[in-house]
Amino acid sequence: MRFTKAILPIALCIICTTLAAPAQKRKGRAAKASKPVVVAPIDTEALKGLLTQERKAPLLINFWATFCDPCRDEFPDLVKINKDYRARALEFITISLDDMTDIKSSVPQFLGSMKATMPAYLLNVPDPEPAIDLIDPRWQGSLPATFLYNEKGEMVYKHIGRVNPTELREAIDKVIQKGTKTPAGK
Amino acid sequence: MKTRNLSILLALLFVIAGAGFAAAARAEGEVPAPPAIGATIEDFTLPDVDNKERTLKSLAGKNGTVLLFIAVQCPVSNAYNERMEKLAQDYKAKGIAVIGINSNVAEDAAAVKNHAAEHSLTFPILKDPGNKIADKLGASVTPEAYFLDANNKLVYHGRIDNARNAAEVQTPDLRNAIDASLAGKGIEKSEAKAFGCSIKRA
Repeated sequence: MRFTKAILPIALCIICTTLAAPAQKRKGRAAKASKPVVVAPIDTEALKGLLTQERKAPLLINFWATFCDPCRDEFPDLVKINKDYRARALEFITISLDDMTDIKSSVPQFLGSMKATMPAYLLNVPDPEPAIDLIDPRWQGSLPATFLYNEKGEMVYKHIGRVNPTELREAIDKVIQKGTKTPAGK
Repeated sequence: MKTRNLSILLALLFVIAGAGFAAAARAEGEVPAPPAIGATIEDFTLPDVDNKERTLKSLAGKNGTVLLFIAVQCPVSNAYNERMEKLAQDYKAKGIAVIGINSNVAEDAAAVKNHAAEHSLTFPILKDPGNKIADKLGASVTPEAYFLDANNKLVYHGRIDNARNAAEVQTPDLRNAIDASLAGKGIEKSEAKAFGCSIKRA
């Protein structure tokens, strides 16, 4: 009897902890999933500032749009690349070329569904041509388009069309290794 | 005999490898280069939405022709439906013809016909099976415009105007090019980057 009395609170405690843990985990996951994705507008001047500002890490920019099928198709690869390189001194931003009316609807909805955590912008310009020319005068504006800059702001890699993840990872590895003599491990 | 068979096999492998390479290059989103401004666009034949063969020559306007690569599902192209129809109406009496071309592999003639009816597009729309004409003209997105003068010479290539939203139009590049051509003046901006949805090629 004494033994049962002693064991009962411990057993109850174990049961409660076991039951509560997944619930907390679920709650945590739900909180994480429901965190709204914020998409900020960016104009040509701000984009110029972003490209020319002093930085400590290489910069990867992906231009995309919700109406662009290959953009949507490549997004899981980009999310994985961001996850893998976030700790390795890579700045990764996405710029949507959707309409401004989509900034609070389809764009964050899609990014949320992809669990994309990189800073997200939407090009808010009356004329996209100057912004396209600013990035690369040879780029016709077709999507998706991905550009990688080194720490000095020089473009070291570009890809128009759906990215080849292996090729992009190689380019990132190369620029990270060049920038830092002792690259951090994953 | 054996050597001959081996040669045939090698030749076949070479052809297959070549085809594979071409497909891979296309998969990367490569689009053939467009003709240079000033180049003459040769006559072509494409089926309309009723599967009737039409030639560029039979549809061309006496003072010039606008070729518009358009789509059924692309929201950017659809944002231009009213503007494209207005363009066709505004310039009809001035001898300028507007021809729509749909090169998207996933949008068949019936879908194009329904879309045109739904959005009151009255200008002829041609289907471009195998994106033959899109390749010939180096068209990459929808909407994308080509303006040919009375002699089928390419005088403008690119966007219709600067803004997807009609209320934000500041530079109606295509209209400016047509107006300059009709006035016998030089076209100030003969190329402007077209922005829209990639043409889904075969």
